[in-house]
Amino acid sequence: MSTLTMSTTKRKPLIERLNVFTAFFFGALFAIVAWRLSLTFLPADSESAPRFTREDKITLLSMTAWFVGFMFGIGALIGPARWIMGKDLSHEEAMFYAGKNMGIKRYFRYTTDHKVVGIQYLVITMVIFGIGGIMAMMIRTNLAHPGGDLIHPQAYNSLVGTHGILMIVGAIIMVTGPFGNYIMPIMIGARDMAFPRLNALSFWLIVAAAIPLIWGQFIGGISTGWTAYNPLAGQAPLGMNGYIMYICIFALSTMVAGANITTTVVKMRAKGMTWNRTPIFIHGVVASVALALPAFPTFFLSQVMSGMDRGLGTNFYDTKGGGSGWLYEHLFWLMGHPEVYVILIPAVAALMEMAPVFTRRPLYSFTTAVVGIAGIAGLSVLVWAHHMYMSGWAPLLNAPFMLTTELISIPTGMLFLVLVGTIWRGRVWVTMPMLSIYALLWNFMIGGVTGIYLSDVPADASFHGSMYVTAHFHYTLMGAGLTGAIASLVYWFPKMTGRMFDKKLSWISFWMTQIGFNLAFMGMFAVGLAGQPRRVEAYDQMFNTGNLVTTIGAYIIMAGMLVLLAGVIHSWKYGQKAPTNPWHAKTIEWTVPNPVPLENFDVLPEVHEDPYSYGKKKEFV
Amino acid sequence: MSLDMHTDDSHNSHNSHGAHHEHPDDVGSRNRLGVILILVADISFALSMMFVFFYLKSQNINNMWLPEATEDSPAITPLSSMPAWIVTSVAAVGLLFHYLGLKGARVGAQGTLKNFSFLALLASIAGTVYQWNTIATAPFTFHQGTYVSAFYLLTIMNLVHLMLTILISLGNWNRSRLGLYKSDHWHVDIVRVWWTWMAISSGLGAFCLSLA
Repeated sequence: MSTLTMSTTKRKPLIERLNVFTAFFFGALFAIVAWRLSLTFLPADSESAPRFTREDKITLLSMTAWFVGFMFGIGALIGPARWIMGKDLSHEEAMFYAGKNMGIKRYFRYTTDHKVVGIQYLVITMVIFGIGGIMAMMIRTNLAHPGGDLIHPQAYNSLVGTHGILMIVGAIIMVTGPFGNYIMPIMIGARDMAFPRLNALSFWLIVAAAIPLIWGQFIGGISTGWTAYNPLAGQAPLGMNGYIMYICIFALSTMVAGANITTTVVKMRAKGMTWNRTPIFIHGVVASVALALPAFPTFFLSQVMSGMDRGLGTNFYDTKGGGSGWLYEHLFWLMGHPEVYVILIPAVAALMEMAPVFTRRPLYSFTTAVVGIAGIAGLSVLVWAHHMYMSGWAPLLNAPFMLTTELISIPTGMLFLVLVGTIWRGRVWVTMPMLSIYALLWNFMIGGVTGIYLSDVPADASFHGSMYVTAHFHYTLMGAGLTGAIASLVYWFPKMTGRMFDKKLSWISFWMTQIGFNLAFMGMFAVGLAGQPRRVEAYDQMFNTGNLVTTIGAYIIMAGMLVLLAGVIHSWKYGQKAPTNPWHAKTIEWTVPNPVPLENFDVLPEVHEDPYSYGKKKEFV
Repeated sequence: MSLDMHTDDSHNSHNSHGAHHEHPDDVGSRNRLGVILILVADISFALSMMFVFFYLKSQNINNMWLPEATEDSPAITPLSSMPAWIVTSVAAVGLLFHYLGLKGARVGAQGTLKNFSFLALLASIAGTVYQWNTIATAPFTFHQGTYVSAFYLLTIMNLVHLMLTILISLGNWNRSRLGLYKSDHWHVDIVRVWWTWMAISSGLGAFCLSLA
């Protein structure tokens, strides 16, 4: 008799009892116990110690205990434990993990079904952007007039740092999380991800990571900006430990997600789906996670060392003890610049996926698109030190890094070419996702062109550390990346929820967001060019107009985002029921019914053509 | 080691949710690629540690790679790298045991697999204990210069690797003891991939410490 059958007469087995509530309970319990024990048993710092580290040790131990307790409480350790014990999951248990017949409860468990994980990612991305957005509004409200004064400078610094890292993490997962999980397996004709339990793990690691970051806000915050440069971070309040734990846990999530998505695509594509017949969105997602796979461990290591400096008193970054701030910058930016493309590539690829659908034309030069994606991914690991031009590190190497950075414009331009070539003379079906393609071309062009100035050493000497830089990266990450993610939401909403996204609300949201966005960040460019430094909570009167314009733009963005949120909720609940293929697209995900069955396909599909054969008689599937 | 073990009592391999059967070789191949990709991240982490080691050594900022004696503390001299090579040798021996077990599994010799898996488990425990002893008996404290910082980074991370290896080897031995590898042994093959990388990474750490 199986474990699950026995559960009708006996106590529920462990895997049925664990959920998000037990996860929080055990996380809190473990943290409190670790905190209490370390308070009792950790010796006081000696009077002659070069640094006092006891509080950091206690904080880091408690946060680590939280993490272990949370993972135990959600059920992440059951699989490995059962493997060690030689008691593999039975068929019934695997189906329980998949969330079969569990209704809404499956969203609060360690559920392995890729569709559940996709929805979980969608919700957490929206929560992250919601919190980060509220912080952005607080920042902009404070900057609406020159004196600041609304927020204490230390709290302001922490707001800026936390907003930054929250939004970066949100942006990293905004496409590969919801759509890479929900849509991608169906799109390649697979029944699930290669490793469903790792899939659930990658999501719940993000939830586990969030708490130390929030915890950190109550013990001094993150006063260093999102980059957490050392040795500044080594001197920051205890809240910095929250950042360290957040990044370490998130890096683990990125690692397992990267391995899982890549394996799924390499090993589980439908019969006949050669690489040339694999949709461009899949190429983008794989390039993104494959890029993250070797990049994030360097960031992970930088934070491990930061934690060792704070908690154990080592000297990796403390110059007095022989350490180097440049070491941190290298490790950080070895991840930091590829990360920009980890964010951008899947968002642009998603829009390239939509362009043929809404123009009823084949993707213009599929090969150029793939080469462009590969070129960006390859070059992105060779440009990190352009963030260090003004740090004084190896000035002789500035020119080579300038060259590699400017070279990256070429593959980026190839993606532009593909989009423009696809739209050119197409019979455009004007939908919100289609408008987003135009918006991407506009925003990304501005983000890209201003980036060329920053890659130029003499120009960077002037723009470095100014609001110009802040405006530039918002144009790329938000103007291009987030635009692609929101378009993806509207495009794949019918498949994910079974309902159409409200057309009117999607249009209102689009125009408000795009107008507000361009207003906000053009204003920011203006004050940056005039010399306003970034990360300041008060500024000179001469920057007032630009900042006011930016703040007004930010409020319009907020209104647009609230309309989008209303659109999501309204459409999910009351939206028009979606047909199987509302866009008449040719990729596989549009062949499965709504709601998508647990295992997606009764019979695995076979692919006979490329997915963009618009105007041809032969069908893709 | 497997990333997802959706196998029923008769050890037929299933797809993700267990309803559709797949050939064990397909499942094994998929798991193998997954482990290799996770190792890509771990390799990047290990190479970054080597970068840290040589960066700090070559910069020698304020002559603090190996600080000279002061009134408060004696001069720091690099420890012999012999313990690091001993740990690596133990890891290599563990890998050899595991490989011999795998060879047995390939010809259906379950007893050979079980015995050598047990020896590999013992090797992982011995390596862990010895690595812990190296850290616990190091004659300096954390703040005494950057060699010391890098020494602790490399040894502590190697300790984490070894502790993971104990868990993996324990599972591997236990599963072989229960006869779970009779019909297919791709788990054992994947554990070999881990053992190989663990031994190599230990060697990379020893290599760094030899050049201190």
